[in-house]
Amino acid sequence: MAGEIPDRVPVIPVVDGYFAPKIIGRDNDECFLDGICQAEALAASLARFGYDGAIAEMGLGDEPNVLGCPVEVEGNYVPLVVETLIAGREDIGKLKIPADSSAVATGGKLEPVRWLVEAVGAGQVVLGSVRSPFEYAATVRGLFDFMTDFYRDPELVRDLVAACIPATLAVGKALIEAGVDALVIKDSFASSSMISPDHYREFAWPAEVQAIGELGGLAPVVLHICRNSMPILEDMSKTGAAVLEIDSPVDLAAAKAAVGGRVVLKGNIDAAAVIEKGSLEDVEAAVRYAMSAAKAGGGFILSSGDSIPNSAPENNLTALVEAGKKYGKY
Amino acid sequence: MKDTLENFELAIIAGNADASADLADTIVRQGQATADKIFDHLAAAMEEVGSRYETGEYFIPEMLRSAEAVEKAMTVLEPYLFERRHEQAGIIVMGTVKGDIHNIGKNIIVSALRASGYEVHDLGVNVSTEKFINKVKETSADLLLLSAFTTSTKPALLDIIAALESEGMRGEVKVISGGASHSEDFAREIGVDGFATDVKSTLAICRSLTGA
Repeated sequence: MAGEIPDRVPVIPVVDGYFAPKIIGRDNDECFLDGICQAEALAASLARFGYDGAIAEMGLGDEPNVLGCPVEVEGNYVPLVVETLIAGREDIGKLKIPADSSAVATGGKLEPVRWLVEAVGAGQVVLGSVRSPFEYAATVRGLFDFMTDFYRDPELVRDLVAACIPATLAVGKALIEAGVDALVIKDSFASSSMISPDHYREFAWPAEVQAIGELGGLAPVVLHICRNSMPILEDMSKTGAAVLEIDSPVDLAAAKAAVGGRVVLKGNIDAAAVIEKGSLEDVEAAVRYAMSAAKAGGGFILSSGDSIPNSAPENNLTALVEAGKKYGKY
Repeated sequence: MKDTLENFELAIIAGNADASADLADTIVRQGQATADKIFDHLAAAMEEVGSRYETGEYFIPEMLRSAEAVEKAMTVLEPYLFERRHEQAGIIVMGTVKGDIHNIGKNIIVSALRASGYEVHDLGVNVSTEKFINKVKETSADLLLLSAFTTSTKPALLDIIAALESEGMRGEVKVISGGASHSEDFAREIGVDGFATDVKSTLAICRSLTGA
């Protein structure tokens, strides 16, 4: 992640709690409620497919609530925040925001992360995933109300995002203390598929800069914004993030030309159309294209653009890793 | 010079809820516009909003702002439209399927459909198959609209289609699915009657299936 040219392009697909549990024959909900189960699933997936890094999603099954908002999961559905706490400005104080990393680590909550860090092999890394302040704010307010607030009450948006900055910092620091090699700050709702570049710069970017400014000194930070992030790529490259994780709607060659000289790019094989739905040949072709677009000169990590779905065929992940190792050699 | 209805349409496109409510009030006080005319302008406004989203001029907050302007105008217009006994375009049951709580796209489409004269029963998010089936029965709905954003919701879509078939209702209600979770190919595979990805395509499919 230092941007030096390695022997080959690292391959770190976004294999997280949506895909990994099936590798050990478990449903997502079992591992959602049991961090060690999820850590075992991630380690088993890493060992089976042989990619270069595991992603400890949201503290590994340790998010039964998001800052006090209850979360439920059933079977292989994704976890859902089923109740939001913020009806208005007066409720911001109701959020259970951890004061610091020690508040996150209580009750052995980070044991699964430590377990995973111990379990990964030599040369493999563990990335710890944390929500951005903007994503925390959208989650606890409810996305519909949050985005309606952009025009109805922009001050509430700013205040809520600011109130959530300590949460990103506390969880991020706790993950680093548990031994992860790098952090992924997820800011999916800041995507230009959802909000305008102007709104990104107004509401999301300042908090990214603040969080990455503080956490980036402790570990490299990967900034993840899914779907289309091309219109804001320049801004993302100026957040202080070491790596930008970009999704399939972004033209990888254009991204490399625009910001590849400043930051490492991680992406951007289409998780749904190629890895879930495509043939083995489709996967290989997509990897070859990605290498041709972004491998030259280093600063590239081959990845899926977003989380690999539960229903993706295991053979396609094997093909992704094999093609990545084959075509990624320098 | 634009007339009141044209300004009303522009206020919705701009997402100016106060202006849309004021203009709706003027329309009511003038008492000249037919219900059809009002719905034409509401639908045209939401189609324009959908077009601007497609071209990247509008994003989700701008669409929500326009949806809010429709909602506010409808509270003023509803009694007026009821007096004029506007002929309903059709009855729709809509919701986001089980395992998914995304409501933004659904809510915008609900506003657009109401603005186009449909009676819409919005069941909300994370809706069980049983709830969809019961509401379709209760309302004798013409259309069932299923919103599904997250990829893990495909089993829920399959479950609803299977339940409609086992209840012998599949021939009585047309089903439209939409959302980022699935492709048109998948929608065809499971046997829905239409697949929509945005406001414009949803309105077009609903109109073609109900002849409205």
